[in-house]
Amino acid sequence: MMPQLVTVKMMRPNGRPIRIWVPVLPVLLVLSPLVVLAAVVAAVACLVYRISLLRAFGTGWRIMSALPGTRVDVEHGRAAVLVSIR
Amino acid sequence: MNEQRKEILQMLAEGKVTAEEAEQLIAALERDQPAPAAPGSDVRPKGKPKYLRVMVDATDEGVASRVNIRVPLQLLRAGVRLAALIPAQALGEANAELSRSGVPVDLTQLKPEQLEALVEHLDDMTVEVDQPDTKVRIFCE
Repeated sequence: MMPQLVTVKMMRPNGRPIRIWVPVLPVLLVLSPLVVLAAVVAAVACLVYRISLLRAFGTGWRIMSALPGTRVDVEHGRAAVLVSIR
Repeated sequence: MNEQRKEILQMLAEGKVTAEEAEQLIAALERDQPAPAAPGSDVRPKGKPKYLRVMVDATDEGVASRVNIRVPLQLLRAGVRLAALIPAQALGEANAELSRSGVPVDLTQLKPEQLEALVEHLDDMTVEVDQPDTKVRIFCE
């Protein structure tokens, strides 16, 4: 299943947190023209480097599907960043 | 009481083995079974791990830093497949750069199946680095 929600939490050095929730599907829909353009560029790159289009897009989809559950949490002193993909 | 012990006692009740033989069989059974874990020991339940965890605790010039990363193993497997798509020309260039950096590894010899087997066996791996100001722990959960 592709990611549904990306949560970004940043703790600024002054102690005030910033939280951003990114719903992936709506954002992808809004950015769909860019996504289509990126897919075309990727397809051309695959043809230039003689890589199977089907395998390349299959692998890309696998990576997207495997992303949920990823969590990166970095703290340095009072500053902190947390990225969580669900 | 486990099944094997029950069977031995059943055989004793039916007269198929003597009391002495039953005792020897039970003793042999106990030798084969692992000792129960001590309470409070750090033993994780043995299941199929889903995530690779990287935990770093460090102190840099008096400032504490902490890194906690959780990567699904499925993502590593997908990454291995992505590596298989790298064109031979790019692999050649990467080999040359690695050799120049003093890492003589031939990436063209690295097969996707080997990488996949490596990911499969990551669950048995635990890396712990303990230094006065840095602690690193890599494991699967």
